[in-house]
Amino acid sequence: MRSSNRRTPGRVLAWVFLAVFLLATIFPFYWMIRTALTPAADLYNDSSSLLPHQPTLINFARVLGLTTEAEARAAGGSGAHLDFGRYLLNSVIYCGLIAGVQTLLCSMAGYAFARLRFPGRDLAFTLLVSALMVPPIFTLLPNFILVKQLGWINTMAGMVAPTILMTPFAVFFLRQFFLSLPREVEEAAILDGVGPWGMFWRVAMPMSRGPLITIGLTTTVWAWKDFLWPLLVGRGEEHRLVTVALGVFLQQSPNTQPDWTGLMAASTLSVLPVLLLLVFLGKRLVQSLSFTGGK
Amino acid sequence: MNRITLGAAALALSLTALTGCTSSDDSGSGGAVTLEYWLWDDNQKASYQACADAFHTANPDITVKITQTAWAQYWQNLTTQLAAGDAPDVWTDQASYYPQFVTSNQILDIQPFVDRDKVDLSQYQAGLADLYAKDGKRYGLPKDWDTMALVYNTTQLKAQGIAPAELENLTWNPSDGGTFEQLIAKATVDEKGRNGLDPSFDKSKIKTYGFLPEWADGSQGQNGWGNLAVSNGFEFLDKNPWGTRYKYDDPKLAATIDWFKSLIAKGYAPPLDKASTLSRDALLSAGKGAITFAGSWMINSYLAADAKVKFAFAPLPTGPQGRKTAINGLSDAINAGTEHQEQAWKWVKFLGSADCQNIVGGNGVVFPAITAAGDKALAAHKAKGQNVQVFVDEAKAPGGTFFLPVSEHGNEISQLVQDGIQSAVLGQSDSATALKKANDQVNALFK
Amino acid sequence: MGQARQRDDRRVAWWFVAPVLVGFAVFYAYPAVRGVWYSLTDYTMLGTPSFVGAENYTDLLADRQFWSSMLVTAYYVVLNISSQTVLALVVAALMHRLTRSVVLRAALLLPWLVPNVTIGLLWMWLLDTNLGLVNHLLHAVGLGPVGFFTDAHWAMPAVAGINTWAYTGYTALLLYAGMLQIPQHLYESASIDGAGELRIFARITMPLLRPVLALVLVVSLIGSFQIFDTVAVTTKGGPVSATRVIYFFIYQQAFSYFHMGYAAAAAVFLALVLGVFTFVQLRLLRASSSDLA
Repeated sequence: MRSSNRRTPGRVLAWVFLAVFLLATIFPFYWMIRTALTPAADLYNDSSSLLPHQPTLINFARVLGLTTEAEARAAGGSGAHLDFGRYLLNSVIYCGLIAGVQTLLCSMAGYAFARLRFPGRDLAFTLLVSALMVPPIFTLLPNFILVKQLGWINTMAGMVAPTILMTPFAVFFLRQFFLSLPREVEEAAILDGVGPWGMFWRVAMPMSRGPLITIGLTTTVWAWKDFLWPLLVGRGEEHRLVTVALGVFLQQSPNTQPDWTGLMAASTLSVLPVLLLLVFLGKRLVQSLSFTGGK
Repeated sequence: MNRITLGAAALALSLTALTGCTSSDDSGSGGAVTLEYWLWDDNQKASYQACADAFHTANPDITVKITQTAWAQYWQNLTTQLAAGDAPDVWTDQASYYPQFVTSNQILDIQPFVDRDKVDLSQYQAGLADLYAKDGKRYGLPKDWDTMALVYNTTQLKAQGIAPAELENLTWNPSDGGTFEQLIAKATVDEKGRNGLDPSFDKSKIKTYGFLPEWADGSQGQNGWGNLAVSNGFEFLDKNPWGTRYKYDDPKLAATIDWFKSLIAKGYAPPLDKASTLSRDALLSAGKGAITFAGSWMINSYLAADAKVKFAFAPLPTGPQGRKTAINGLSDAINAGTEHQEQAWKWVKFLGSADCQNIVGGNGVVFPAITAAGDKALAAHKAKGQNVQVFVDEAKAPGGTFFLPVSEHGNEISQLVQDGIQSAVLGQSDSATALKKANDQVNALFK
Repeated sequence: MGQARQRDDRRVAWWFVAPVLVGFAVFYAYPAVRGVWYSLTDYTMLGTPSFVGAENYTDLLADRQFWSSMLVTAYYVVLNISSQTVLALVVAALMHRLTRSVVLRAALLLPWLVPNVTIGLLWMWLLDTNLGLVNHLLHAVGLGPVGFFTDAHWAMPAVAGINTWAYTGYTALLLYAGMLQIPQHLYESASIDGAGELRIFARITMPLLRPVLALVLVVSLIGSFQIFDTVAVTTKGGPVSATRVIYFFIYQQAFSYFHMGYAAAAAVFLALVLGVFTFVQLRLLRASSSDLA
């Protein structure tokens, strides 16, 4: 490595390529924010300069529901009621519930499948893992009907139900991890008379912080991106997630054209939380990718 | 269990309704109720909000919450919400789309309520009430009507030396386009300022298109091809309403689409593959186009007091079979599964009454279905200095109007026909083939 | 001691797995069985299902729209996977040889963290025919406006391009992580031997990366088949049916037309196709599980 640290044309070219790629990755987000700061009326004459001529915060104000209907309409919206603050909060609750509960339950199961001996263990595990082969759309339709029959449409319960207890991948992944834990520690604990619960809580879990954070973070990110399921069961205002709200917002376009400045303001808000996640947990996230090997 | 209780409640309610509960004013008003109401036109929201407010004043225990969803997603949204059992109590309905909800028993039959409360159906513009009736059942009360006209940018046409009088008696035919095409050609301007009749006209660099067609227009072509095709002798289906065999393979329709394609080829109309997220009225305002079709529900968008561009309306061109405009009336449907049937009917009755239609008419947003309120709307437009006589004249012209196709499978037919027409316009296949294919698929739905 | 432990496990183990098994039974197994049942019925979701045998399947096989959407999906998968994998491989290889910067890696991960809905909206705006930045740039270099979502030839490449943009950074990081597992001394001895970078890439990186690459490919392939959000936001299957991917077809059948049974049959069909890929994925996961963690 060090020996090749010269400034050869190849290396310069490689850096240029990386820089261009990085720019192409980041710049659209800048454009999103730039549009969000543009008054809707200026959009036609001012959609190509690098900075808006007359930056405004009105678009953020109206997607957060801080303006009157008349003000929102004057600023290019359809006058529909918007409250992205609430949608963001809903999304945070949704992700927190799913990531927290699912990670805990799946690590318990993963541990049992890896370390405890009980009849039917291998059969149960094989069945669980076979669920990996079922694409989500297949269970989506019947699950929708199930949730409808349970009367859980437009409730947080209905939204989290299919994923809060388990995903096959999380069980599979955590079992793989628990299998790789050294047995010596446990054997010592057994001699001290620690039972399976104690073993799990006091021995296995503390040794598994890395994989647990990995699976928790990955689950959080995927839950944050969820769209189709919450669109079907959680369109109501009360529990509407930020992704669903963006879709509904697009659908509430005025007759003339999509409310671009408002949409970009709302989009910016939907990016902010993950941006914070990246800033504070970026290293964790980046490292976690080598753990999961996909998914 | 939920469904059972719901069903029982609905049954009980309709029983009280059928057994002639005379004191309709306090029946079912056990407490404060919020009705969900859907519409798609953001321009009308304020007027119906005014209706809702008036309604709430008269019925303090009923609040109406209005949700607007853009036309492009309205029907898909509604079906999804119906499937989820979470649809609005009352929604705005359109003639071509409502039958599928009748088939799946989603719309409440309001005939019993109409009989009970003796709603006068003759107060509405002729024909509108029957659009929403089938086999003695009734699925909505007319709330408004609309016809089509040409709308043009007056400044732009003036700059090309076109006098408004020239637009009064346009002719059209699918082979050479008649005086309508001449007008469009003259209104088209390239970047060097030459119009479409100039021999050196450069069709690759257009500044203003003479005509803006609408292609996301479902199976009806209400905003364009439908009117011209019908004026060329085209009929949508064997029987309207409630036909079962469509005729989209009619060469007269294909000829109409071919004429539109020729406009695009000549540079008089923008190609579909470069279509914009901007709607036609935004493009007209931006000077990207000169003429297009406009429904009467668009009057306020075009003739707004604060509009920077001055528009005017003109009658549709006369085709081989005369001048034909689609006439359509919207209605309000009650969700068959609503928990507040009596309140929902009260709201629908209010929407269909002079009280609400006068509010809407007075705002000059649409032409209300009640004839008297319609006159009020016309007066309101006149007071605002808006000349909208053409829409009314067309509606009154004998044999000058046609209804949009009403049949089952509206959603699917819309998608199939729109796809067929778009593929013809995009040049993926010729019009006759594309329409034949679409028509076969459409008619297969009725087997 | 061993005996005592076995007895304890039996009692307690089911408590460990019970919640997960309940979740599995109620939200995976039961719906899977129900899904197959619905696929054999005529079901509008508003009435009760009535058994029709294999009719949905025979209709499906004769349905040109269904096959068109399978083809459209395959086209998308090819476009998306090829561009995304090649680009990610290049980026990963360059990073591997140039830098270990966490900041850079985190920045590349940003699009992956953003919901597809947001990404769809963002690019719908960037690619807008009249007002979009991309068409402004094209105009600046003298090219006419491109209707990215309205031109039948452009719509699918545009959608595929959007998702490539969204997932290349993520894929690159996965591959990069795989490259880090390749022993450093191989590279050192290669450069002592005077091998060029391209040669090192071809002789060391590629062969040793193969298991990871295969896994990443299969996983992104399966994900790619399930594209929905981007299409739902940007093109809604159009123009005509140029982007009506299989998920959208199923969605439309189920929720726009109330053909629940038919939609379920299409889902069963898709599940069979994806099952094959997933089977391969599981094999690969087992094979490389020793490298994980």
